[in-house]
Amino acid sequence: MAPAGLVPRVRRPTGAGRAIPVLRGMYRWASGNFPAILLLVIALTVIGVFLQGQGHDQGLTLMGLQLRNALVLGAIYALVAIGYTMVYGIIELINFAHGDVFTASGFYAILIATLFGLNGLAAGGPGGLVLALLILFPVVMLMSGLTGMIIERVAYRRLRSSPRLAPLITAIGVSFFLEGFMLTRAGPDNVPTGRSAWITTHAFTFGGVSVSWKDIFVVAVALGLMFALGAFIRGTRLGKAMRSTAQDRDAALLCGININRTISVTFFIGSALAAAAAIVYTINLEFIQWNLGYRLGIIAFTAAVLGGIGNIVGAGLGGFLIGAIYVFGGQLVGGEWSEALIFAVLVIILTFRPVGLLGVEVTTRA
Amino acid sequence: MYKPKAGALSVAGIASLAVLSACGTTGGGGPTSGGGGALGSCRGTITVATDLPLTGGDATDGPFPAYGAQLAVTQANDHHTLGGCRLKYVSKDDSSVAQNGHDPAQGAANITALAADSSVIGVVGPFNSSVALTEIPIASQNHLPLISPANTNPGLTQPGTNPAIDTNALYKGVHSYFRVIATDTDQAEILAYVATKELSATKAFLFDDQQTYGKGLRLLFQKFYTQDGGTVVGSPASLPSSTKTFSTQLGEASTDGAKLVFFGGTTGNGCGLVRGQMAAAGLTVPFLGGDGCEDTKFLTDAGANANGAEATSAPDVTKLASAATFYSDYAAAYSNLTAPYNDGKKEPYTAYGYDAMNILIKAIKAALINNHAKVPADIMTFRDDVITQLHSVSYDGAIGHTTFDTNGDTTNTGFTLYQVQSGAWATKETLAVDTSGNVSVKS
Repeated sequence: MAPAGLVPRVRRPTGAGRAIPVLRGMYRWASGNFPAILLLVIALTVIGVFLQGQGHDQGLTLMGLQLRNALVLGAIYALVAIGYTMVYGIIELINFAHGDVFTASGFYAILIATLFGLNGLAAGGPGGLVLALLILFPVVMLMSGLTGMIIERVAYRRLRSSPRLAPLITAIGVSFFLEGFMLTRAGPDNVPTGRSAWITTHAFTFGGVSVSWKDIFVVAVALGLMFALGAFIRGTRLGKAMRSTAQDRDAALLCGININRTISVTFFIGSALAAAAAIVYTINLEFIQWNLGYRLGIIAFTAAVLGGIGNIVGAGLGGFLIGAIYVFGGQLVGGEWSEALIFAVLVIILTFRPVGLLGVEVTTRA
Repeated sequence: MYKPKAGALSVAGIASLAVLSACGTTGGGGPTSGGGGALGSCRGTITVATDLPLTGGDATDGPFPAYGAQLAVTQANDHHTLGGCRLKYVSKDDSSVAQNGHDPAQGAANITALAADSSVIGVVGPFNSSVALTEIPIASQNHLPLISPANTNPGLTQPGTNPAIDTNALYKGVHSYFRVIATDTDQAEILAYVATKELSATKAFLFDDQQTYGKGLRLLFQKFYTQDGGTVVGSPASLPSSTKTFSTQLGEASTDGAKLVFFGGTTGNGCGLVRGQMAAAGLTVPFLGGDGCEDTKFLTDAGANANGAEATSAPDVTKLASAATFYSDYAAAYSNLTAPYNDGKKEPYTAYGYDAMNILIKAIKAALINNHAKVPADIMTFRDDVITQLHSVSYDGAIGHTTFDTNGDTTNTGFTLYQVQSGAWATKETLAVDTSGNVSVKS
């Protein structure tokens, strides 16, 4: 059996629907999951009222504010989680270096921004900002994608037929190498990205919840890239190759698929998405630190497991869920418990549904 | 000018430099000068020591107060402060390779060795509160005076101020521990005064970094802030040092109408990040922190949002008029050391080490005079005499006027309030708290 997310589930829309597939897809999703959405809204309202009872004068506003925070945080987790899940889906390796690729991308972004003077450009106005983003995203994603490919080529390819433990240890080794490299190059402290002037304007206020364009930008980038990835995997030859490699590598090889290239592309895409996450992170939080990706990677990995490892839709969903657990858990129980709660939820999910929320049983190779 | 004896400085290394005590100086008058007229007939050598972290990660901290203390000994010998008696200086390093810096176990071993030496009359140190926790019981049982230049944790002397420390259990013998630096209790009282009286913040949201220092300071601030009429909104956020996003807690602070955000902790654990993320959460209220926040890392982490943030820290000793002579003496005495150790102003605790040693010497002198210029035959009697003298000592030194209260804490409780202006920390004012807890602005 193949991990579900790499197998097409939804038939391509036809006719008018093809023109606006995203909206159509959203509508279909919303109508299909109406009870779930209703339940979520009710749950949020109940929590809001509960908070009000706890001595917060504006419980509902606080609720909305935390929902916003959860979405922003979840978007970043989701983008990183997809990288974990794609690699696992295709070669069943937990790529522990992925979180550090995220960090490295943050440093690439600083490098590129300095090299092209993007900070000044972006502060100049909307046109400059768009131009800066159009330079920053492709260049950094390319650099990061290549980093991912090189890591795979150097550290994992030779070990592809080794026992499962060998590449796992190598992955941890690569992680340590990257962290050590960034520590010596960038120092132990937070490195400011100087991106405070990039997106500053306030977008709208809804019921006391103020939402900035920065928040919208983070979530929009994540959702946009996820839809683009879905379209790529469903609609292109390479995507088809990835799906078939995930299903059965040997059979795919027999059918003439270039396995090495397919796996390289998987690493490229996963790393490029981590780079996108790092860029939105550095715009949103304005700093990067050598070991930031370690913890963020572990949490994103948890998101991938929660959604069902190997399942791309699951990783996206898991990312947003983990963001919500982090924020709402922190609000209701106390911030010191946020990370503990994430792992508690993980343990519960794995106990009662070992394959994760959207996962399907993966047969272990002999 | 300072001229070391031939070969005296040939041995490299901080610790070996610090044990030198026979160097002569021909200039500069130390505050302990005044001759030893009453002690002209005194005979013998009395050992004083420092126990400070000198190597590893603490190599930029501990050596400074050690050099300061050594200078005090050198000056006392030059000016015959103890008349015919001489002082011998011993330097101990409480760093270990295993900890790459201060190590409570190493500190305990050092104090045990010093306490067993019947010529040692008192010790300046330790630097870290965690080391003090293991050293105080040993010093207390052996009646060995211990004067810290840098311990700020109130739990070391004030029962009930730190939930992690059983203060009374530390003193198994006599109360031989003193400190020349103000405690976090004093700092918290001053912070609460700033919050309620100067910033007029009626509601505050509190953060801490879960660490002994940060959480301790937050709990003390919370206590004094509510005493002063302030209200704490929401539940205080006690977050691990790995936390990078504070949007959840800042969101709570903004909807609850906080008029102030307080952070108890260090910049390494998020102080600057909290300040930096306040704007995005819609919080335009003042930000207040303790001495863990007042550094350049705060400015980097908070970025463009740093401006306006306020934090208290120990007074800038380098700018005190009373410390001017000390710093020039230090520069003259240690001009042959490598940077940064040749400049006492590179570390705020240098002058505290100097004053702590001078206070110890002053107490020794008073004890000798009381004993008719004779070194008591029994070291325990001598140590007890010095402890008695320390409790009533009154000393004007580089860091100002020092006396000790019954807990052994200094009554020199000034803290300076700093504010970020145009991207740099600027001095706003200096405040002090008196023994009954009243805060006043000194300058």
